[in-house]
Amino acid sequence: MRFSTRRALAVMASGLVGLSVAACAPGEGAGASSTSCTNEIAKPDATRVTLWAWYPAVEQIVDRFNAEHDDVQVCWTNAGQGADEYGKFSTALEAGTGAPDVIQLESEILPTYTILDGLTDLAPFGAGDLADEFPAGAWSDVSDGDAVHAVPVDGGPVGMLYRADIFSKYGVEPPTTWDEFAQAAQDLRDAGYAGFITNYATNGGAFNYALFAQAGWAPFDYDSSRPAEIGIDVDTPAARKVLSYWEDLVDRGLVSSDDAFTSDYNTSLVDGTYAVYIAAAWGPGYLEGLSDADSGAEWRAAPLPQWDPANPVQVNQGGSALAVTSQATDPEAAATVATELFDDTETWHVGVEEAGLFPLWNLALEADWFTGRRYPFFGGQQVNRDVFLDAAAQYPGFTFSPFQVYAYDRQTMALYDMVEGPATAADALATVQDGLVRYAEQQGFTVR
Amino acid sequence: MTSADRPREGTLLTSSTTAATPAAAPARAERARRRSAGALDTRRQWWGWLFLAPFTVVFVLFLLVPLGYAFWLSLHTKGIATGGESVFTGVANYVRVFTDADFLSGMARVGRFVLVMVPIQVGLAVAIALVLDTLATRLSKASRLLVFVPYAIPAVIGALMWGFLYSPRFGPANDLFGLFGLDAPDFLSRDLIFGSLVNIVTWQWVGYYMIIVYAALRAIDPSVYEAARLDGAGNRQIAFRIKIPMIASSMVMIVVFALIGTLQFFTEPTVLRSVAQGAIPTTYTPNLYAYSMAFSYSQFNYASTIAFALGILVFIGSYVFLYATRKQSGLK
Amino acid sequence: MTTSHTSRRAGGRRLGSHVFLLLAVLYFVVPLWWLVVGSTKSNSGLFVGTGGALWFDDELALWDNVTQLFTYQGGIYWTWLRNSFVYAFAGGVGSTVLAVLAGYALAKYRFRGRNLYFSMLLGSVMVPLTALTIPTFVLLSQLGMINTMWAVILPSLLSPIGVYLVRVYAVDAIPDEMLDAGRVDGAGELRLFVRVALPLLRPAFVTVLLLTTVATWNNFFLPLAVLRDPQLLPVTVGINQWQALSNAGAGGEQVWNLIVTGALVSILPLVAAFLGLQKYWQGGLSLGAIK
Repeated sequence: MRFSTRRALAVMASGLVGLSVAACAPGEGAGASSTSCTNEIAKPDATRVTLWAWYPAVEQIVDRFNAEHDDVQVCWTNAGQGADEYGKFSTALEAGTGAPDVIQLESEILPTYTILDGLTDLAPFGAGDLADEFPAGAWSDVSDGDAVHAVPVDGGPVGMLYRADIFSKYGVEPPTTWDEFAQAAQDLRDAGYAGFITNYATNGGAFNYALFAQAGWAPFDYDSSRPAEIGIDVDTPAARKVLSYWEDLVDRGLVSSDDAFTSDYNTSLVDGTYAVYIAAAWGPGYLEGLSDADSGAEWRAAPLPQWDPANPVQVNQGGSALAVTSQATDPEAAATVATELFDDTETWHVGVEEAGLFPLWNLALEADWFTGRRYPFFGGQQVNRDVFLDAAAQYPGFTFSPFQVYAYDRQTMALYDMVEGPATAADALATVQDGLVRYAEQQGFTVR
Repeated sequence: MTSADRPREGTLLTSSTTAATPAAAPARAERARRRSAGALDTRRQWWGWLFLAPFTVVFVLFLLVPLGYAFWLSLHTKGIATGGESVFTGVANYVRVFTDADFLSGMARVGRFVLVMVPIQVGLAVAIALVLDTLATRLSKASRLLVFVPYAIPAVIGALMWGFLYSPRFGPANDLFGLFGLDAPDFLSRDLIFGSLVNIVTWQWVGYYMIIVYAALRAIDPSVYEAARLDGAGNRQIAFRIKIPMIASSMVMIVVFALIGTLQFFTEPTVLRSVAQGAIPTTYTPNLYAYSMAFSYSQFNYASTIAFALGILVFIGSYVFLYATRKQSGLK
Repeated sequence: MTTSHTSRRAGGRRLGSHVFLLLAVLYFVVPLWWLVVGSTKSNSGLFVGTGGALWFDDELALWDNVTQLFTYQGGIYWTWLRNSFVYAFAGGVGSTVLAVLAGYALAKYRFRGRNLYFSMLLGSVMVPLTALTIPTFVLLSQLGMINTMWAVILPSLLSPIGVYLVRVYAVDAIPDEMLDAGRVDGAGELRLFVRVALPLLRPAFVTVLLLTTVATWNNFFLPLAVLRDPQLLPVTVGINQWQALSNAGAGGEQVWNLIVTGALVSILPLVAAFLGLQKYWQGGLSLGAIK
């Protein structure tokens, strides 16, 4: 039981030495945080541009860029996906230091950071000339007048993925309008299908925005050139129509209301509990990750059902862009990276084939290898030609608010109340409208 | 040190010394005491601070300084539409937070968690420890370890795992309830999420509390029980009349641990939120609310205010509890 | 008569006690059993396996999963595990040393401001972590330590609860007269601490070491905020990031099998340490009791 003090001190001392050695080992210069890159830098003397991005296969893309550029090298880190990365970026902006030079952001989050002066306008670096290289809707999402806040990379034109085997087994035709969709839901159930035609996720912030937008919903009137003014019009007839439609299907038990992107939701997607997956173009990639689950599944893609087939409207969910932050040490070099990282056909082969991205770069969108690409997951269907290319080309753009995460969170709360409780679609929309107006005023906006 | 302290210290010292050491020692100690009370005192004071110094550096650097800065933040306001200008607004943020329905409902929820979670954890820990104390079988020894194992699992991993287990189709719930011909309830729905969270924390911490209580029970001299048995006391009476009162200080300690853990409830709801965003909104607990305010909405000033307001309430709550139990917790 | 009666009653109670224990053990172990079973399944096996959630599939993919842990993202999982070790060791040992020194000083030295110091310490136990994250982040960036291991290690040296425990324990465990006797014999204060106090504080030392090591091992919030290089993450944040990746959908990869297997592997070291070292910690944890 004797506790030798000398031994104790020796243990402590060796511990401290051990820890200092260990702490220095991994970073190769633990102090200089900005130099720790996940990728290998091919040309150490060139200007380094730090990049936060979470694209799959981004390392290959970065390596390609570095091999082809002698004056600029990209130093890439994955600082987390979506919200995780945004949290770090926000903290860095608040602290005044710690942001990367170039950052991957979803286009819906751009106004959130332009108003915090977190992004550098790329127009002075000639980015305005790039407008022709991208679909019009995608370009309008990243620009305001002459200002260019980011360069589009990938998009999320929305289509309808469905289980052809389930539809044919129960003798139901895949729907092309929302009326047909509701009918198909009932028909499947009547024919003995035990699952749900699809799922309505209250936590799908961007997904719900896309569904509303299809009916002509434009909740925000906002322009970064007049940053302190905003129009908020959430509670509109269009939104009520869409939301009541889904509320009705959920109430009738034809559509489930699970949270999206959970392990449980995944199970339902792959085990035939859902017959339809309304998905953005990156959806197939998501499904493919689970594809070995059910060998009997026959997935096919079709255009998103329409409210008015005579005037089809296409929508977008998700997708991302590269922006240069206001803390960039060399904005010009950073702008080079933002504009040129994906400016290459070979790169897009990697992006499409390995990362499952849907390009927003016209040269890729028009290329035969992309339009004619057959997807084994869809039984060899050319889903880009059949569905997503049209959707991307016709997407008109959308104006998001400068407090989009807050708006999504409030919407999730209100929609959950609607699905779980006595609240109606109109109640939910009114709640969101009031909450957002109050928040905007609190933040010093003039609400029009 | 005040002059009033000295005599008390003296009596304490002499009384324990006489009890513990042979006759010659008291005189020596008495001499030492007199000396220490005089000239050496300043040097001793200096040594006290020296021993405290390393901790104090960390304490100041990573607690007081950040806390001061956070307080400064809470007195200022920076609206996102006002061009990033930070304006001194005094207690305006505090007025706002104590009238903020989201904060108040989160606080009320935390209050409910305290009322439910702390008694369940402490009760279960004590019950298991009492049973283990009366049994000395191989099963009981193995049980002691197995009950303790969840403590060795990081809260994040534990919450992640329970998130899988709660998923009706991914987890085993359907299989288990299916055995009885029932449908599994949705543990992640709004109605059940409270109990689901209580369960995770209980699962994780009861083993640790149990070990503390168990060790305290083992430290009781068994002759006490024999005397009680001679007086006709049964096992139950011994447990409630003798054992529990004798381990009061350990119980205060675990209540304090459980209390502080519950009031700062954060990790479990955060992790479960990834599978239950509807049932766990961002305003679920004040800590979660402050976190979203800062990291999702860039509202650092108001986030600091929420955290401070929570801190004040936690402080008052814990202080009242510690004061009420100061005899048992060694703070008398 | 009487004896047989008592023993029969005792036997019944023993049975009841054992049943209670068995149920308790089931409750604590079944989730872990699920984790063990889950780690033997492939990604699709987890979703539509043949054996249900609590039993093995026909195909055992445990070995595949472990190999995948070595290859996925360049085997980064093992880097995370090593980081966790470094953080837990440095944070645990460091904060314990500081806590023992400070607790001893607060218990055995009388100096101006001691009570105030102790009150502040108690108060600080209750400060919500979220209140400190932003300012700590700012501070660490001033020191140029964001995104380094120090950003995790230095703040975890702070363990007010450790100081509190040592202080409470030291008050009674170290008799003043022993120290005074040592002083009479001419021993210096440092020598007194090392020779007299430290051996007596051993149970407190072990308890606090255990507490702080586990706390640093569990650390989630701080590394989440101050680290961004995946090579520096501890395993808790890393696995959570995999979960976010699998949940996010956007071109996302599905690595549920790695999350489950990774979770299992990550808890093994601490579980093994607890089981292997039980004779050390079981005594130490009784700190509150010895009092």
